Amino acid sequence: MAIAKAERLMNLALCLLGTRRPLTKRELRSSIEAYVESFGTGDGPASSDESFNRMFERDKDDLRELGLVIETVDGLEGDVGYLARRDSNRLPPITLDAEEAAALGLAAKIWQQARLAGAASGALQKLRAAGMPLAAETEDIDAPHSALEPRIPAHEAAFEPLMLACRDRRPVVFDYRKSNAAHPERRQVEPWILECWRGHWYVAGWDRDRTAERVFRLSRITGKVRSRQGAFTAPVPDHVTVRETVESWAGETATGSARIKLRAGHGYPLRARALTVRALGDGWDELEIPNGHGLDAWLVEFGPDVVVLEPAELRADVIDRLRAVAKG
Amino acid sequence: MATNAIDQTRRMLSLVTYLRERPGARVGDVARAFGITEDELIADLDVLPMCGTSFRGGDLLDIDTDGDRIWWHNPDDVAEPLRLAADEATALLVAARAVATLPGLREGDRQALLRATAKLEAAAGEAAGASSRLSVTFESEGGVFADVDRAIAERRRLWLRYYSPARDELTEREVDPIRLFAVGHTYMEAWCRLSEARRTFRLDRVAEIRLLDAPADPPPVELRDLSEGLVQPAAEDPEVTIEVGPGGRWVAEYYPHDSADELPDGGLRITLRTPDPTSLRRLALRLGRDGRIAAPQDLADRARQAAAKALAAYGE
Repeated sequence: MAIAKAERLMNLALCLLGTRRPLTKRELRSSIEAYVESFGTGDGPASSDESFNRMFERDKDDLRELGLVIETVDGLEGDVGYLARRDSNRLPPITLDAEEAAALGLAAKIWQQARLAGAASGALQKLRAAGMPLAAETEDIDAPHSALEPRIPAHEAAFEPLMLACRDRRPVVFDYRKSNAAHPERRQVEPWILECWRGHWYVAGWDRDRTAERVFRLSRITGKVRSRQGAFTAPVPDHVTVRETVESWAGETATGSARIKLRAGHGYPLRARALTVRALGDGWDELEIPNGHGLDAWLVEFGPDVVVLEPAELRADVIDRLRAVAKG
Repeated sequence: MATNAIDQTRRMLSLVTYLRERPGARVGDVARAFGITEDELIADLDVLPMCGTSFRGGDLLDIDTDGDRIWWHNPDDVAEPLRLAADEATALLVAARAVATLPGLREGDRQALLRATAKLEAAAGEAAGASSRLSVTFESEGGVFADVDRAIAERRRLWLRYYSPARDELTEREVDPIRLFAVGHTYMEAWCRLSEARRTFRLDRVAEIRLLDAPADPPPVELRDLSEGLVQPAAEDPEVTIEVGPGGRWVAEYYPHDSADELPDGGLRITLRTPDPTSLRRLALRLGRDGRIAAPQDLADRARQAAAKALAAYGE
């Protein structure tokens, strides 16, 4: 049976961390059992050299993902040498008390996305190894912790590739279907930031074709997110406003106010944001509410319990929508 | 739990550091410290003796366990605490910042989290940089949250006036809170004494809340598994078919459904199940010309009648 990958990576990490001088690829190959077993010590056919090289490069990348700083040193009699210096790989001193440890422990649990959940528990394990205390197990009735269990979902397939592209500042291309479009369109984007709001993920970035800043909702990305070669062409702004953009889509930016009649006892959410409420005495109330994009669709939901008084435009939009439904 | 090789390697590197400082550590304590099962820990301990800085002459890690305690007989200075990777710093910092903004969080917890975040940023150094490229905001239902949080801590019953959008009505009920959770919005899972069943309440739909003196006494219930999504229709729920045009495709994003088939005009035929189909009258009205209920017929009729009745108020 082939030696498990975790054992191979562990040995490579320990070799690179343990050495005081750079080790050549040949030295590493002959001293790590998993490489010797799969590829021999280097006097076999050239094809095994190629596959060893591929595996070695992948293994180094994997260790770098885990945070290991691996230096490449030129000129060891023509060979390249590798080492992971202690001082560049050491965690700086950090002292966390039991309360702080408990708070971080709660926070680390919020990821439902596999890669981030793994990274968060990996971080806790490193801190634990460096001496972070365990949170007290006993329930302290006088000062119990908040009972909240926050969760961040990230089921969208586009999440992980976009997270890595934002991290590494790599341009991407993906097919995107706008909410009211039948067919997706290809978009070339320099992604800046991913933001989760109200349980949905959005990415903001520079749209190369429209030469403008755009916000995309991840659930509307169809197919694969592919990375592009090269660097960003537009400057990354200091402050990106994902929330404000999404709020304006959702019609939460009021542009004026509307007057409606609402049947008594109905439409609590409309009452909750009403500027004024006046009982009309005939089983109806009159409300003044903020008016903005999307209000017509919302008001229609209340069916015969809402009558729009003004503005005339809103009244016409609502009547128009009702006619469409009445027609069936 | 299946572990991948990357996570296992990461864990084993921390494990050797941890074990060096704690000769004779107990298996149970170490598993708890690392957030893994004892079986997972034993699997790691099977791999470690095959690992070593072997270039220097094959000195493998001499780590063994009698099933209770763990011993490392040739501890090595290779095992120093390792710096955080960019993804590790991001995962922890983004989570900590998100939780710290929860409006109902207790002040003591928030302060502890802010202190920990600052220390973590300092220790992570440049690995913390990429964490600004990921951001999470939870909904704010602060006042209600604080009352529910207190009720859970003090095991007290709550009185609610709660809004049901399906019926467009407020109902009053007493509930025994079980837990709070946040998935986008913040929710309370509770035993509802009105319906004598477990219910999930969205905090922004709580119109009024009061702590009662009566103790909460929820029957033992299994907590909902949130990883499958909040809405989990049952197989016996009635089926509804909705046909939408291109402008109504968002329905498939917001409503969990069994199927969504493409239509020739760029629309979708969506089939979903719901315990309460009348709640979809709202959806049919909202869709307007962008979609309609195709089946069942009586539900489609009800939406049409509601629209006709509403139009009558405008003199049509």
